[in-house]
Amino acid sequence: MAKRKSPEEVELNLAAMLDMAFQILCFFILTFKPPPAEGQIQLRMPPAQPLQTVKTNERAGSDASKNNPVQGLNTLPIILTATDEGMIRQIYVNQQEVVVDPKLAMLDAQLKKLLGDPATPYDQVVIQVGSNLKYEELMRVLGICTHQTIGGDPKNHLTKLSLVSEDAP
Amino acid sequence: MSATLSNKARAEPNLTPILDMVFQLITFFMLVINFKANLMDMQMQLPVIGSARPMAKDDKRSFFMVNLNNKGQFTVFGRPLDDSKIAGFIQKQGEFYRLTERRRNPNFDPDKDEISTTVIVRADRATPFSKIYRVIRECQDNGFRNFAFRAQSAQAK
Repeated sequence: MAKRKSPEEVELNLAAMLDMAFQILCFFILTFKPPPAEGQIQLRMPPAQPLQTVKTNERAGSDASKNNPVQGLNTLPIILTATDEGMIRQIYVNQQEVVVDPKLAMLDAQLKKLLGDPATPYDQVVIQVGSNLKYEELMRVLGICTHQTIGGDPKNHLTKLSLVSEDAP
Repeated sequence: MSATLSNKARAEPNLTPILDMVFQLITFFMLVINFKANLMDMQMQLPVIGSARPMAKDDKRSFFMVNLNNKGQFTVFGRPLDDSKIAGFIQKQGEFYRLTERRRNPNFDPDKDEISTTVIVRADRATPFSKIYRVIRECQDNGFRNFAFRAQSAQAK
């Protein structure tokens, strides 16, 4: 026996809503871009300042307005020169050449020696970078620098770092 | 008593479960959608560095993303920007973030105080330093002091 519908029963047509829902779903699937897993090296970089400005033939202590005559002595300079292909050619730490090895282990050891000493005078690093050096090579050096601790304190990592270009005035 | 079929057979599938499932999928995609991914240039190959750390989740500071492709071109939403327009673009961003800072902190002095916004530098592994340095200098001149250099972490690789 056929079932008779009561007059109050309402049947919604869901097909139109399903069409729309599928369209929205397609939009989200097509525009879905999972964020890449990226890391970063965080630095605080004020504009690079000259380490010391001295006039020609100026004697030490002759200018009384210089209230910080040893400014610059707490900065460790690192120089990176680049090959034509953008790889590291030479590394100088505090004007001493460091051997360039594939993992930069010698640079790491030299920085540990200079910065890890509890009596270290250094608390910041300035890196002068060859204009041709690739970002990848620079990041390797930055990774090693930010890994260093100052004065042997494991909580005091090196974060004061400035970059200057070889061609900078 | 069995039901008799009429001449015009009508099949009415129950669409409610499929609609439920579709709505659940839409909800999932709406929750995981990442509009900030549009700011990233996905074409470039970042260097792989073991010491790169993921961004802290509790870091609520705003950020300004800078993309430089392997030719050293500054890209905005994946399109390279003309070299002559880079300075103007960064200057406008600096003004915007200074205003944002002032809205948050009424004591903020735009001429003296630093912008707390982090500049995220995403550069291709082959980008020469001179191109990156030009952008860093421009950002520093416009009051940015905090920088984050992006790399692919070794685990993600």
